[in-house]
Amino acid sequence: MAILEVSNLKKSFGQLEVLKQISFEVNKNDVVAIIGPSGSGKSTMLRSLVHLEEIDGGSIAVDGEFIVNDGVYSKPQQLKKIASKMGMVFQHFNLFPHLSVLENLVLAPKLLKQGSTTEHRERGLELLAKVGLSDKADVLPAKLSGGQKQRVAIARALMRNPEILLFDEPTSALDPELTGEVLQVMKDLAKESMTMIVVTHEMEFARDVANKAIFMDNGEIIESGSPSELLTNPKRDRTKAFLHRTVRN
Amino acid sequence: MTIDYLLSILKPMLEGAQATVLLFLIAIIVSIPLGFLLTLAVRSAIKPLAWLANAYIYLMRGTPLLLQLLFIVFGLPLIPVIGEYLVLDRFVAASIGFILNYAAYFAEIFRGGLLAIDKGQYEASKVLGLNRWQTTTRVILPQMIRIALPAVANESVTLVKDTALLYAVAVPELLHFAQTAVNRDFTIIPFLIAGVIYLLITLCLTLFFKWFERRLRFD
Repeated sequence: MAILEVSNLKKSFGQLEVLKQISFEVNKNDVVAIIGPSGSGKSTMLRSLVHLEEIDGGSIAVDGEFIVNDGVYSKPQQLKKIASKMGMVFQHFNLFPHLSVLENLVLAPKLLKQGSTTEHRERGLELLAKVGLSDKADVLPAKLSGGQKQRVAIARALMRNPEILLFDEPTSALDPELTGEVLQVMKDLAKESMTMIVVTHEMEFARDVANKAIFMDNGEIIESGSPSELLTNPKRDRTKAFLHRTVRN
Repeated sequence: MTIDYLLSILKPMLEGAQATVLLFLIAIIVSIPLGFLLTLAVRSAIKPLAWLANAYIYLMRGTPLLLQLLFIVFGLPLIPVIGEYLVLDRFVAASIGFILNYAAYFAEIFRGGLLAIDKGQYEASKVLGLNRWQTTTRVILPQMIRIALPAVANESVTLVKDTALLYAVAVPELLHFAQTAVNRDFTIIPFLIAGVIYLLITLCLTLFFKWFERRLRFD
Protein backbone atom coordinates (compact mmCIF):
# COMPACT_ATOMS: atom_id res chain seq x y z
CA MET A 1 0.00 0.00 0.00
CA ALA A 2 1.27 3.45 -0.88
CA ILE A 3 2.36 5.43 2.16
CA LEU A 4 2.96 8.54 0.05
CA GLU A 5 0.97 9.52 -3.00
CA VAL A 6 1.96 12.49 -5.08
CA SER A 7 -0.10 13.45 -8.09
CA ASN A 8 0.15 16.24 -10.64
CA LEU A 9 2.37 18.39 -8.48
CA LYS A 10 2.87 21.84 -9.99
CA LYS A 11 5.08 24.64 -8.81
CA SER A 12 6.38 27.84 -10.38
CA PHE A 13 8.76 30.51 -9.22
CA GLY A 14 7.36 33.49 -11.10
CA GLN A 15 7.47 32.61 -14.79
CA LEU A 16 9.69 29.61 -14.22
CA GLU A 17 7.87 26.28 -13.99
CA VAL A 18 10.04 24.18 -11.67
CA LEU A 19 7.64 21.26 -11.24
CA LYS A 20 5.38 20.15 -14.06
CA GLN A 21 2.76 17.56 -13.18
CA ILE A 22 4.92 15.36 -10.98
CA SER A 23 3.25 12.08 -9.96
CA PHE A 24 4.67 9.11 -8.11
CA GLU A 25 3.98 6.75 -5.24
CA VAL A 26 6.12 5.47 -2.43
CA ASN A 27 5.28 2.24 -0.66
CA LYS A 28 6.09 1.37 2.92
CA ASN A 29 9.74 0.27 3.28
CA ASP A 30 10.69 1.71 -0.10
CA VAL A 31 14.01 3.42 -0.53
CA VAL A 32 13.55 5.83 -3.41
CA ALA A 33 16.53 7.54 -5.02
CA ILE A 34 15.77 10.71 -6.91
CA ILE A 35 18.47 11.65 -9.36
CA GLY A 36 18.86 14.28 -12.01
CA PRO A 37 20.88 17.34 -12.98
CA SER A 38 20.93 20.37 -10.70
CA GLY A 39 18.01 22.67 -11.34
CA SER A 40 15.81 19.76 -12.31
CA GLY A 41 13.40 20.40 -9.41
CA LYS A 42 14.41 17.44 -7.22
CA SER A 43 14.98 19.46 -4.09
CA THR A 44 11.93 21.65 -4.63
CA MET A 45 9.83 18.51 -5.00
CA LEU A 46 11.23 17.03 -1.79
CA ARG A 47 10.81 20.29 0.12
CA SER A 48 7.20 20.62 -1.01
CA LEU A 49 6.44 17.27 0.65
CA VAL A 50 7.16 18.79 4.09
CA HIS A 51 5.59 22.13 3.20
CA LEU A 52 8.85 24.05 2.99
CA GLU A 53 7.62 25.02 -0.46
CA GLU A 54 4.03 25.89 -1.25
CA ILE A 55 2.83 24.10 -4.36
CA ASP A 56 0.53 25.65 -6.97
CA GLY A 57 -1.43 22.57 -7.90
CA GLY A 58 -1.76 18.82 -7.43
CA SER A 59 -2.08 16.57 -4.39
CA ILE A 60 0.12 15.07 -1.70
CA ALA A 61 -1.22 12.40 0.64
CA VAL A 62 0.52 10.52 3.45
CA ASP A 63 -1.16 7.37 4.72
CA GLY A 64 -4.22 8.36 2.73
CA GLU A 65 -4.51 11.75 4.42
CA PHE A 66 -4.15 14.82 2.25
CA ILE A 67 -1.56 17.47 3.00
CA VAL A 68 -2.81 19.20 -0.10
CA ASN A 69 -5.71 18.05 -2.22
CA ASP A 70 -5.88 19.35 -5.77
CA GLY A 71 -4.01 22.52 -4.83
CA VAL A 72 -5.94 23.14 -1.59
CA TYR A 73 -3.95 22.76 1.63
CA SER A 74 -5.46 21.10 4.70
CA LYS A 75 -6.07 23.13 7.85
CA PRO A 76 -2.88 24.03 9.78
CA GLN A 77 -3.57 21.56 12.62
CA GLN A 78 -4.17 18.71 10.20
CA LEU A 79 -1.18 19.77 8.13
CA LYS A 80 1.07 19.71 11.17
CA LYS A 81 -0.16 16.29 12.19
CA ILE A 82 0.48 14.76 8.78
CA ALA A 83 3.80 16.54 8.30
CA SER A 84 4.97 15.09 11.62
CA LYS A 85 5.03 11.68 9.95
CA MET A 86 7.96 12.87 7.87
CA GLY A 87 11.48 13.69 8.95
CA MET A 88 13.93 15.66 6.87
CA VAL A 89 17.70 15.68 6.58
CA PHE A 90 19.20 18.71 4.86
CA GLN A 91 22.26 19.15 2.71
CA HIS A 92 23.74 21.64 5.16
CA PHE A 93 22.65 19.72 8.30
CA ASN A 94 20.97 22.77 9.85
CA LEU A 95 21.90 21.74 13.36
CA PHE A 96 21.24 24.34 16.05
CA PRO A 97 24.76 25.69 16.70
CA HIS A 98 24.02 27.04 20.19
CA LEU A 99 22.83 23.68 21.52
CA SER A 100 24.82 20.56 22.32
CA VAL A 101 24.32 17.45 20.20
CA LEU A 102 21.91 15.88 22.68
CA GLU A 103 20.04 19.17 23.14
CA ASN A 104 19.62 19.33 19.36
CA LEU A 105 17.88 15.98 19.54
CA VAL A 106 15.62 16.65 22.51
CA LEU A 107 14.63 20.27 21.79
CA ALA A 108 11.63 19.53 19.58
CA PRO A 109 10.13 16.66 21.62
CA LYS A 110 10.63 18.74 24.77
CA LEU A 111 8.86 21.80 23.33
CA LEU A 112 6.12 19.67 21.78
CA LYS A 113 5.66 17.95 25.15
CA GLN A 114 5.79 14.46 23.74
CA GLY A 115 6.73 12.27 26.69
CA SER A 116 8.97 12.99 29.67
CA THR A 117 12.42 14.56 29.81
CA THR A 118 13.94 11.25 30.84
CA GLU A 119 12.34 9.51 27.90
CA HIS A 120 13.69 12.15 25.50
CA ARG A 121 17.15 11.79 26.93
CA GLU A 122 17.12 8.03 26.74
CA ARG A 123 15.77 8.04 23.21
CA GLY A 124 18.34 10.66 22.22
CA LEU A 125 21.25 8.68 23.63
CA GLU A 126 19.92 5.53 22.00
CA LEU A 127 19.83 7.25 18.60
CA LEU A 128 23.28 8.74 19.09
CA ALA A 129 24.57 5.25 19.78
CA LYS A 130 22.86 4.08 16.62
CA VAL A 131 24.69 6.66 14.50
CA GLY A 132 27.92 5.97 16.38
CA LEU A 133 28.20 9.25 18.25
CA SER A 134 27.51 8.33 21.88
CA ASP A 135 30.66 10.12 22.99
CA LYS A 136 29.57 13.41 21.39
CA ALA A 137 26.31 13.95 23.31
CA ASP A 138 27.52 17.05 25.19
CA VAL A 139 29.60 18.60 22.41
CA LEU A 140 28.58 21.64 20.40
CA PRO A 141 28.04 21.01 16.66
CA ALA A 142 30.98 23.28 15.78
CA LYS A 143 33.31 20.66 17.24
CA LEU A 144 32.08 17.96 14.84
CA SER A 145 33.19 17.01 11.34
CA GLY A 146 30.70 17.34 8.49
CA GLY A 147 30.02 13.62 8.49
CA GLN A 148 29.39 13.63 12.23
CA LYS A 149 27.08 16.64 11.90
CA GLN A 150 25.02 14.87 9.28
CA ARG A 151 24.77 11.76 11.46
CA VAL A 152 23.51 13.97 14.32
CA ALA A 153 21.00 15.52 11.90
CA ILE A 154 19.75 12.04 10.99
CA ALA A 155 19.42 11.12 14.66
CA ARG A 156 17.52 14.36 15.27
CA ALA A 157 15.11 13.58 12.42
CA LEU A 158 14.54 10.11 13.89
CA MET A 159 13.53 11.49 17.30
CA ARG A 160 9.94 11.90 16.10
CA ASN A 161 9.79 8.32 14.83
CA PRO A 162 8.89 9.43 11.32
CA GLU A 163 7.23 7.03 8.93
CA ILE A 164 9.14 8.53 6.02
CA LEU A 165 12.58 10.06 6.14
CA LEU A 166 13.50 12.57 3.43
CA PHE A 167 17.10 13.34 2.52
CA ASP A 168 18.00 16.40 0.46
CA GLU A 169 21.46 15.69 -0.97
CA PRO A 170 22.72 14.48 2.41
CA THR A 171 26.32 14.00 1.29
CA SER A 172 26.74 16.87 -1.17
CA ALA A 173 28.26 19.25 1.37
CA LEU A 174 30.73 16.68 2.67
CA ASP A 175 34.35 16.02 1.82
CA PRO A 176 34.51 12.80 -0.23
CA GLU A 177 36.17 10.83 2.57
CA LEU A 178 33.28 11.67 4.93
CA THR A 179 30.39 10.56 2.74
CA GLY A 180 30.93 6.88 3.59
CA GLU A 181 29.97 7.17 7.26
CA VAL A 182 26.72 8.97 6.40
CA LEU A 183 25.80 6.52 3.64
CA GLN A 184 26.48 3.68 6.06
CA VAL A 185 23.95 5.07 8.54
CA MET A 186 21.44 5.36 5.70
CA LYS A 187 22.13 1.78 4.63
CA ASP A 188 21.52 0.62 8.21
CA LEU A 189 18.21 2.46 8.23
CA ALA A 190 17.24 0.83 4.93
CA LYS A 191 18.00 -2.56 6.46
CA GLU A 192 15.62 -1.71 9.31
CA SER A 193 12.94 -1.07 6.67
CA MET A 194 12.83 2.67 7.09
CA THR A 195 10.94 4.30 4.25
CA MET A 196 13.26 6.83 2.66
CA ILE A 197 13.25 9.27 -0.21
CA VAL A 198 16.74 10.41 -1.08
CA VAL A 199 17.69 13.17 -3.48
CA THR A 200 21.25 12.20 -4.31
CA HIS A 201 24.18 12.33 -6.66
CA GLU A 202 25.55 9.09 -5.23
CA MET A 203 24.83 6.65 -8.04
CA GLU A 204 26.42 3.83 -6.13
CA PHE A 205 24.09 4.39 -3.20
CA ALA A 206 21.12 4.56 -5.57
CA ARG A 207 22.11 1.25 -7.13
CA ASP A 208 23.05 -0.62 -3.96
CA VAL A 209 20.48 0.61 -1.45
CA ALA A 210 17.46 2.01 -3.26
CA ASN A 211 14.75 -0.26 -4.60
CA LYS A 212 13.32 2.44 -6.80
CA ALA A 213 14.92 5.24 -8.78
CA ILE A 214 13.36 8.32 -10.27
CA PHE A 215 15.15 10.43 -12.85
CA MET A 216 14.02 14.06 -13.02
CA ASP A 217 14.96 16.70 -15.52
CA ASN A 218 13.56 20.14 -16.13
CA GLY A 219 10.72 19.75 -13.62
CA GLU A 220 9.49 16.42 -14.94
CA ILE A 221 9.91 12.76 -14.09
CA ILE A 222 11.55 11.42 -17.21
CA GLU A 223 11.89 7.84 -16.16
CA SER A 224 11.50 5.68 -13.08
CA GLY A 225 11.98 2.05 -12.18
CA SER A 226 14.37 -0.29 -10.50
CA PRO A 227 17.74 1.39 -9.93
CA SER A 228 19.80 -1.28 -11.64
CA GLU A 229 17.57 -1.08 -14.69
CA LEU A 230 17.45 2.71 -14.79
CA LEU A 231 21.13 3.23 -14.14
CA THR A 232 22.54 0.57 -16.44
CA ASN A 233 19.92 0.42 -19.11
CA PRO A 234 18.09 3.75 -19.34
CA LYS A 235 15.39 4.01 -21.96
CA ARG A 236 15.15 7.74 -22.45
CA ASP A 237 17.78 9.87 -24.16
CA ARG A 238 17.87 12.50 -21.43
CA THR A 239 18.55 9.85 -18.81
CA LYS A 240 21.28 8.39 -20.95
CA ALA A 241 22.89 11.78 -21.49
CA PHE A 242 22.79 12.56 -17.76
CA LEU A 243 24.23 9.21 -16.72
CA HIS A 244 26.87 9.48 -19.40
CA ARG A 245 27.97 12.84 -17.98
CA THR A 246 27.90 11.67 -14.37
CA VAL A 247 29.85 8.50 -15.00
CA ARG A 248 32.42 10.26 -17.08
CA ASN A 249 33.03 12.87 -14.38
CA MET B 1 47.35 70.52 44.12
CA THR B 2 46.83 68.45 47.22
CA ILE B 3 45.20 65.22 48.16
CA ASP B 4 42.65 67.24 50.08
CA TYR B 5 41.68 69.13 46.95
CA LEU B 6 41.31 65.91 44.99
CA LEU B 7 39.07 64.43 47.67
CA SER B 8 37.00 67.60 47.86
CA ILE B 9 36.13 67.56 44.16
CA LEU B 10 35.92 63.78 43.93
CA LYS B 11 32.86 63.59 46.15
CA PRO B 12 30.51 65.69 43.99
CA MET B 13 31.94 64.12 40.85
CA LEU B 14 31.20 60.62 42.08
CA GLU B 15 27.66 61.78 42.85
CA GLY B 16 27.48 63.02 39.29
CA ALA B 17 28.80 59.67 38.12
CA GLN B 18 25.87 58.04 39.91
CA ALA B 19 23.45 59.93 37.68
CA THR B 20 25.54 58.88 34.69
CA VAL B 21 25.45 55.21 35.65
CA LEU B 22 21.78 55.33 36.60
CA LEU B 23 20.80 56.82 33.24
CA PHE B 24 22.97 54.27 31.48
CA LEU B 25 21.31 51.36 33.28
CA ILE B 26 17.78 52.64 32.74
CA ALA B 27 18.45 53.34 29.06
CA ILE B 28 20.07 50.01 28.32
CA ILE B 29 17.63 47.85 30.28
CA VAL B 30 14.60 49.34 28.56
CA SER B 31 15.96 50.08 25.08
CA ILE B 32 17.31 46.60 24.37
CA PRO B 33 13.97 44.76 24.68
CA LEU B 34 12.23 47.70 23.01
CA GLY B 35 14.75 47.51 20.18
CA PHE B 36 14.03 43.85 19.73
CA LEU B 37 10.28 44.48 19.54
CA LEU B 38 11.03 47.13 16.91
CA THR B 39 13.05 44.59 14.92
CA LEU B 40 10.10 42.20 15.00
CA ALA B 41 7.82 45.04 13.90
CA VAL B 42 10.14 45.89 11.00
CA ARG B 43 10.05 42.27 9.88
CA SER B 44 6.34 41.90 10.50
CA ALA B 45 4.06 40.67 7.76
CA ILE B 46 1.62 43.41 8.79
CA LYS B 47 2.79 46.09 6.37
CA PRO B 48 1.55 49.23 8.18
CA LEU B 49 3.34 48.07 11.34
CA ALA B 50 6.58 47.45 9.44
CA TRP B 51 6.21 50.83 7.75
CA LEU B 52 5.67 52.63 11.07
CA ALA B 53 8.63 50.90 12.67
CA ASN B 54 10.87 51.82 9.74
CA ALA B 55 9.71 55.44 9.87
CA TYR B 56 10.40 55.51 13.60
CA ILE B 57 13.92 54.15 13.16
CA TYR B 58 14.59 56.62 10.37
CA LEU B 59 13.40 59.51 12.52
CA MET B 60 15.45 58.49 15.57
CA ARG B 61 18.63 57.77 13.65
CA GLY B 62 18.24 60.67 11.28
CA THR B 63 18.16 63.44 13.87
CA PRO B 64 20.69 64.31 16.58
CA LEU B 65 20.14 62.81 20.01
CA LEU B 66 20.78 66.27 21.44
CA LEU B 67 17.88 67.70 19.42
CA GLN B 68 15.64 64.89 20.62
CA LEU B 69 16.58 65.56 24.24
CA LEU B 70 15.99 69.29 23.93
CA PHE B 71 12.71 68.57 22.17
CA ILE B 72 11.44 66.32 24.97
CA VAL B 73 12.74 68.37 27.91
CA PHE B 74 12.12 71.92 26.69
CA GLY B 75 10.01 71.50 23.55
CA LEU B 76 7.08 69.35 24.61
CA PRO B 77 5.92 71.72 27.41
CA LEU B 78 5.56 74.46 24.77
CA ILE B 79 2.86 72.57 22.85
CA PRO B 80 -0.44 74.47 23.20
CA VAL B 81 -3.11 72.96 25.49
CA ILE B 82 -1.43 69.63 26.27
CA GLY B 83 2.03 71.09 26.88
CA GLU B 84 1.42 71.75 30.54
CA TYR B 85 0.88 68.03 31.12
CA LEU B 86 4.20 67.23 29.44
CA VAL B 87 6.42 68.97 31.96
CA LEU B 88 8.41 66.03 33.24
CA ASP B 89 11.24 65.76 35.70
CA ARG B 90 14.28 66.54 33.56
CA PHE B 91 16.06 63.30 34.42
CA VAL B 92 12.93 61.29 33.59
CA ALA B 93 12.44 63.20 30.36
CA ALA B 94 16.07 62.67 29.37
CA SER B 95 15.79 58.95 30.18
CA ILE B 96 12.81 58.69 27.85
CA GLY B 97 14.81 60.43 25.15
CA PHE B 98 17.74 58.04 25.51
CA ILE B 99 15.46 55.00 25.53
CA LEU B 100 13.60 56.07 22.41
CA ASN B 101 16.81 56.91 20.56
CA TYR B 102 18.81 53.85 21.55
CA ALA B 103 15.94 51.45 20.88
CA ALA B 104 16.19 52.47 17.21
CA TYR B 105 19.92 51.71 17.10
CA PHE B 106 19.49 48.40 18.88
CA ALA B 107 16.67 47.51 16.48
CA GLU B 108 19.09 47.93 13.57
CA ILE B 109 21.74 45.86 15.33
CA PHE B 110 19.28 43.04 16.01
CA ARG B 111 17.99 43.18 12.46
CA GLY B 112 21.55 42.64 11.29
CA GLY B 113 21.86 39.72 13.69
CA LEU B 114 18.71 38.14 12.33
CA LEU B 115 19.90 38.54 8.74
CA ALA B 116 23.05 36.63 9.62
CA ILE B 117 21.06 33.56 10.68
CA ASP B 118 20.83 30.93 7.97
CA LYS B 119 17.33 30.21 6.68
CA GLY B 120 18.09 26.54 7.24
CA GLN B 121 17.59 27.19 10.96
CA TYR B 122 13.97 28.20 10.33
CA GLU B 123 13.45 25.27 7.98
CA ALA B 124 14.85 22.71 10.41
CA SER B 125 12.66 24.16 13.17
CA LYS B 126 9.57 23.98 11.00
CA VAL B 127 10.19 20.40 9.91
CA LEU B 128 10.77 19.42 13.55
CA GLY B 129 7.32 20.80 14.35
CA LEU B 130 8.21 23.95 16.28
CA ASN B 131 5.77 26.84 16.00
CA ARG B 132 6.84 30.40 15.27
CA TRP B 133 7.10 31.44 18.89
CA GLN B 134 9.19 28.39 19.82
CA THR B 135 11.41 28.91 16.80
CA THR B 136 11.96 32.57 17.65
CA THR B 137 12.65 32.12 21.37
CA ARG B 138 14.55 28.83 21.38
CA VAL B 139 16.38 28.78 18.07
CA ILE B 140 16.67 32.26 16.61
CA LEU B 141 17.00 34.58 19.63
CA PRO B 142 19.91 32.77 21.30
CA GLN B 143 21.87 32.86 18.05
CA MET B 144 20.92 36.44 17.31
CA ILE B 145 22.10 37.58 20.74
CA ARG B 146 25.46 35.92 20.20
CA ILE B 147 25.87 37.46 16.74
CA ALA B 148 24.73 40.91 17.85
CA LEU B 149 26.76 40.98 21.06
CA PRO B 150 29.90 42.76 19.79
CA ALA B 151 27.77 45.49 18.20
CA VAL B 152 25.64 45.77 21.35
CA ALA B 153 28.82 46.13 23.42
CA ASN B 154 30.03 48.88 21.11
CA GLU B 155 26.72 50.70 21.28
CA SER B 156 26.72 50.44 25.09
CA VAL B 157 30.09 52.16 25.31
CA THR B 158 28.73 54.93 23.10
CA LEU B 159 25.74 55.19 25.42
CA VAL B 160 27.99 55.74 28.45
CA LYS B 161 29.64 58.66 26.71
CA ASP B 162 26.34 60.02 25.37
CA THR B 163 25.09 60.41 28.94
CA ALA B 164 27.25 63.55 28.96
CA LEU B 165 24.46 65.12 26.89
CA LEU B 166 22.55 65.43 30.17
CA TYR B 167 24.74 68.48 30.61
CA ALA B 168 22.78 70.24 27.86
CA VAL B 169 19.43 69.69 29.57
CA ALA B 170 20.82 70.78 32.93
CA VAL B 171 20.64 67.47 34.73
CA PRO B 172 23.63 67.33 37.08
CA GLU B 173 25.89 64.44 36.10
CA LEU B 174 29.60 63.68 35.97
CA LEU B 175 30.56 66.23 33.32
CA HIS B 176 28.44 68.95 34.94
CA PHE B 177 30.35 68.67 38.23
CA ALA B 178 33.68 68.58 36.41
CA GLN B 179 32.82 71.74 34.48
CA THR B 180 31.65 73.48 37.65
CA ALA B 181 34.89 72.64 39.45
CA VAL B 182 36.99 73.78 36.49
CA ASN B 183 35.20 77.15 36.35
CA ARG B 184 35.39 77.64 40.09
CA ASP B 185 38.96 76.50 40.75
CA PHE B 186 40.51 77.36 37.42
CA THR B 187 42.31 74.04 37.04
CA ILE B 188 42.24 71.30 34.45
CA ILE B 189 42.30 68.52 37.06
CA PRO B 190 38.51 67.93 37.26
CA PHE B 191 38.38 67.28 33.49
CA LEU B 192 41.12 64.68 33.87
CA ILE B 193 39.30 63.03 36.74
CA ALA B 194 36.08 62.96 34.73
CA GLY B 195 37.97 61.30 31.88
CA VAL B 196 39.34 58.65 34.22
CA ILE B 197 35.89 57.93 35.67
CA TYR B 198 34.40 57.52 32.16
CA LEU B 199 37.27 55.20 31.29
CA LEU B 200 36.67 53.11 34.40
CA ILE B 201 32.97 52.77 33.60
CA THR B 202 33.64 51.74 30.00
CA LEU B 203 36.38 49.37 31.15
CA CYS B 204 33.92 47.54 33.44
CA LEU B 205 31.46 47.41 30.58
CA THR B 206 34.01 46.07 28.12
CA LEU B 207 35.14 43.37 30.55
CA PHE B 208 31.54 42.38 31.21
CA PHE B 209 30.77 42.01 27.50
CA LYS B 210 33.99 40.07 26.87
CA TRP B 211 33.00 37.64 29.62
CA PHE B 212 29.46 37.39 28.25
CA GLU B 213 30.74 36.74 24.73
CA ARG B 214 32.92 33.90 25.96
CA ARG B 215 29.99 32.40 27.81
CA LEU B 216 27.73 32.44 24.76
CA ARG B 217 30.36 31.24 22.36
CA PHE B 218 29.32 28.37 20.14
CA ASP B 219 31.76 28.42 17.26
